[in-house]
Amino acid sequence: MKKVLMMALLLLAALMSGCGEESSNSGKLNVMLQSNVVSLDSAQATDSASFEVIADCIDGLMQLDADGKVIPALAQSYEVSEDGKIYTFHLRDAKWANGDAVTANDFVFSWRRHCEESTKYAYIMGSTVACVKNADAVIKKEIAPEQLGVSAPDAKTFVVELDAPVSFFPSLMCFPAFYPINEKFYNGLEKNTYGTSPETFLSNGAFMLTEYLPGAANIQLAKNNNYWDASRVSLENLQYQVVSSSDNALTAFKNGTLNLAVISGNQVENVKNDAELSKDLHTIPTGILNYLSFNQDAKNNHGGALANVNLRLAISNAIDRESLVDNYVTNGSQATYTAIPIRFAANALTGEYFASDQKQFADVVSFDVDKARTFLETAKSELSRDNFNLEMIYANDSGDTVVRVAQAIKSQVEENLPGVTMNLQPMPKAEYLDRITSNSYDIAITNWAPDYDDPMTFFTLWTTEGCEIAEHWSNADYDKIIANCTTGELAAKYNARWIAMYDAEKILLDNAVIAPLYTNAIADLISSNVSGIEFHSVAIERVYKSAKVQ
Amino acid sequence: MTKYIAKRLIMSILTLFAIIFVLFVLIRIMPGNPFPVERMSAEMILQKRLELGLDKPILVQFADYMSMLMHGSFGNGTSLYNGAPIKPIMLKCLENSFKIGVLSILFGTLVGLVIGIVAALNRGKFLDGLCTIISILGVCIPSYVFMIFLQYFFSYKIPLFPYFFDPSKFLSSAVMPALSLSLFAISTVARFTRNEMVEVINSDYVKLAEAKGLYGFQLIRRHVLRNALIPIVTVIAPLVVDLLTGAMVIEKIYGINGVGKLMVDAIAGQGVDYNYVLALGIVFSSLYIGVMLLLDILYGIIDPRIRLAAKDG
Amino acid sequence: MNMEKNYTPQKTDFEFISGRNIDVDTNFASQGYWRGVAVHFFRNKFAVTGLILVCAIMIFAICAPLVSPYSYQEIISITGENGKEIVAKSLPPQFAGENQNLFADKTFIFGTDDMGRDLWTRTWQGARVSLIIAFVAIFIDMLIGMSYGLISGFFGGNIDNVMQRFIEIAGSIPTLVIISILAIFMDKGIGLVIASLLITEWIGMSKIARAECLKLKEREYVLASRTLGAGSFHIIFKQILPNTIGPIITQVMFSIPVAIFTEAFLSFVGVGIVLPQCSIGSLIEAGFNNITILPYQILPPICVLAILMLGFNLIGDGLREALAPKLEDM
Repeated sequence: MKKVLMMALLLLAALMSGCGEESSNSGKLNVMLQSNVVSLDSAQATDSASFEVIADCIDGLMQLDADGKVIPALAQSYEVSEDGKIYTFHLRDAKWANGDAVTANDFVFSWRRHCEESTKYAYIMGSTVACVKNADAVIKKEIAPEQLGVSAPDAKTFVVELDAPVSFFPSLMCFPAFYPINEKFYNGLEKNTYGTSPETFLSNGAFMLTEYLPGAANIQLAKNNNYWDASRVSLENLQYQVVSSSDNALTAFKNGTLNLAVISGNQVENVKNDAELSKDLHTIPTGILNYLSFNQDAKNNHGGALANVNLRLAISNAIDRESLVDNYVTNGSQATYTAIPIRFAANALTGEYFASDQKQFADVVSFDVDKARTFLETAKSELSRDNFNLEMIYANDSGDTVVRVAQAIKSQVEENLPGVTMNLQPMPKAEYLDRITSNSYDIAITNWAPDYDDPMTFFTLWTTEGCEIAEHWSNADYDKIIANCTTGELAAKYNARWIAMYDAEKILLDNAVIAPLYTNAIADLISSNVSGIEFHSVAIERVYKSAKVQ
Repeated sequence: MTKYIAKRLIMSILTLFAIIFVLFVLIRIMPGNPFPVERMSAEMILQKRLELGLDKPILVQFADYMSMLMHGSFGNGTSLYNGAPIKPIMLKCLENSFKIGVLSILFGTLVGLVIGIVAALNRGKFLDGLCTIISILGVCIPSYVFMIFLQYFFSYKIPLFPYFFDPSKFLSSAVMPALSLSLFAISTVARFTRNEMVEVINSDYVKLAEAKGLYGFQLIRRHVLRNALIPIVTVIAPLVVDLLTGAMVIEKIYGINGVGKLMVDAIAGQGVDYNYVLALGIVFSSLYIGVMLLLDILYGIIDPRIRLAAKDG
Repeated sequence: MNMEKNYTPQKTDFEFISGRNIDVDTNFASQGYWRGVAVHFFRNKFAVTGLILVCAIMIFAICAPLVSPYSYQEIISITGENGKEIVAKSLPPQFAGENQNLFADKTFIFGTDDMGRDLWTRTWQGARVSLIIAFVAIFIDMLIGMSYGLISGFFGGNIDNVMQRFIEIAGSIPTLVIISILAIFMDKGIGLVIASLLITEWIGMSKIARAECLKLKEREYVLASRTLGAGSFHIIFKQILPNTIGPIITQVMFSIPVAIFTEAFLSFVGVGIVLPQCSIGSLIEAGFNNITILPYQILPPICVLAILMLGFNLIGDGLREALAPKLEDM
């Protein structure tokens, strides 16, 4: 029987090999994505995969160069008014793929639409981030979108009015929410179909969509010859393949099916031990912070023991972060002892990363079993309880690294803190998010990726308003500093703002609102014949405009 | 018979209605919000719920939904998760899953039958034992593990097939997923066929037929197989539905845009996508009911002695 | 009078008219049905092999975690090259004393997993859970699925119609939806797994039982029984059931791995066994993540499952032949 099976198999194979193997053409790059692209509509997109593909196809006003510096893209130049509240962008001559010129009106249309329609990323226009005039009111649908502080005096001039000066405003322009959409094309489409197929998506960037379906495992892009900077683009085709298993990614890379594969955990160690493959291994730092979020609502339906600051401090100090990253994350991620990820938000004046001093808060965030036990004893006497049964939730559909990290944390905490028990509760992402928003969890393993290149993208998470969603912590001093730094008097003073943010971070960590774990790194396998892929830690993770395949 | 079928059809439509209602109520009880809610404030979630009419009484919502369904639209017709229209995407995914499903059913049933018949004719001998072991292993190894083996050996070690699914080379990229999906079908069909055939071969009428001088293929086809078919058809039927509605893990591994993945993403993805779960649920259960109807009709054809309708009907 | 009433007839009161000695089969006459089944079963060497396999797995599952030096959830540390304590993760199988350089003092029969836990202990610990799941699956199939199918098939008509429509409704709701809802009311863990199996696992069996019943209920012997005045339930369970035993046992055998993998899937989406506990299914799931680089991690659970399945199947075949002895006679 086996023989018959094999014969049939071989026969089939012989039949099919006729239509098989293409010769590997040089201008084609196959790139792996770890998760589905949610949407190519920038108002619907919520994830880095979507942002990356959108940015391949559409250029914004500004872009990042290979070193992460903000340089002009569709804007040839821009001017800022003296008070820092009015930005005037002068557009270059650029075309949409259908031949239409890119005009200032496309930006006006897109920004208004974003405020009106977006859910998760509407806030980026509002007073906590970009401070575009009237954005908050438009988002809440209190006034018409026409009153948003954007205008197009002529086809090539785009003017933005802000409520407060925003020092990182140009860098925000790299984020897809601020990209243009061709109004005429959009209005010619059926409702809700924008960005759901190659026919309903119009690009003005380096690539155009040739094959796509929402949720698809395979996306294909081709070079856009109408791109204003087309001479820079040498790739003819760019193909994305969604691969969810690291093991599968490794084999596909060895096979030559993928030119860029993201691997994790055991596969990284395996590659490191392989003399040939390890040459292709690159560790790419990111700005993603993984942390434990403590629910501090004393009235939450899990007993509320974590409202006690000493219990939180005990847990935070009982975790051996180095062992965590060395043994269970293993992809080059770095143990982190600050609320801001390590390689993120360089100071514009000194060039130093915001969190480059990891020992800054060592008295409250470190691995010190004795200290942790002292904190625990205090917590026990304050709460007059000897045992703490805590539930730790995490979303398990983002690979097996988080599963290992969760088990390691449980093991470390239970060993180092007698009397504390952790119940691991893996769950689908939908339920996980619901548990957090409905205030029904103790500890959540979570992460946050920065939306823009400023520590504020993290700090705003923990204001009283931000904490209503998760940690349920509130501190008036903290709120005051943050308000001061975003819309208040410090907004325009670079250095003073920077120092104030350290004060805010100290309050945050003294109270152990969160326990930082590690800053993500990505272990990429890149074929040796590929060069020129740019990696960024903010907004768009990978850029292929100057990528080459030899 | 026609009267019976007509009656069954009406019943099936009523059942479908009941299923939609149950599903409608259940997914609203399910934990999880329909929106990608990471750091989305309660206020915004509420606003979203109002927009979609999720605050209305559930029966009103159901009535609205049914009236929209009558007009051929699944709810407001878009995914709650990314706002894309449901129908074209679902059709595309159904097509992919169907094609691979049909291949694996055909292959699985055929190979299963052959293995089963060979085993039954050689019962107690070496071939029988071998077939038993194959069919036992077939259910012990999950289809996705087998898929990885195939991928490893037949596209990495020996590059015969594309490593990931490629719609432009459908046939060659359908071989491995169809093969691994059919593993379970092969095992069950082979096992049931063997056991049923052994029983039938031992029955008196086959002895009689043998005594009359019938032998070989004739005997198997006319007397043995026909009588052994009923339980076999019964096991194949639900398998057909399973295979047609896609296999989530294999679709994920091999990068197939199929309905299995779509369904799991809709239930356990970023948010519970009410519209998608319902739309897929309606399609799946229509399929299921259809196959069951077919099955009952088939019983009558295979074995005319079977009477399904009430005694007076 | 009185004496006559209390009189019990004795064997010696009767004698053969002819006076000739007739052979009376004292052996078989005195043997009950179940005794016969047992005799048949134990005479079948395949069935006995199956029984031994299943028993062996059960013994290992019960004893191995007890005598193992490690607990199933313990992350083991070893002394590494430079004398530093390191986590003993992803070590291939090794025995103490065999490996001279590094970890000479420890034995890991199946190696360790990627968390640094002993796979030998975990495999048998997992086998416990999966054995429970297997027996639950058998129980559900035999009790709920079989009765439902037989009753539905036998009565036919409107009863059948209603019962089959109910199955269609129950079978159409995605398992994941049912379980997510159950998880609101129950704590996660083996109880939830069993509850969800109870709801979903019986449908396949009821189909088989119904189909068999449809086939058999028009047979002559059932008709004869009915004419003699036998009640419906007597006919279903005493006349039809024994004749459907073949396909039913086959179906039971298939529902075991299905149940074990359903449990694994549930663990995977986060409603099954809670980590760091484990089951055969969740071990296969975990090994699957590293299948091409650390293949030894997925082998033990798959082998245990295969042996278990082989054992159950051999027992099933033996039982089938023992319960319907006509098969064996021929």
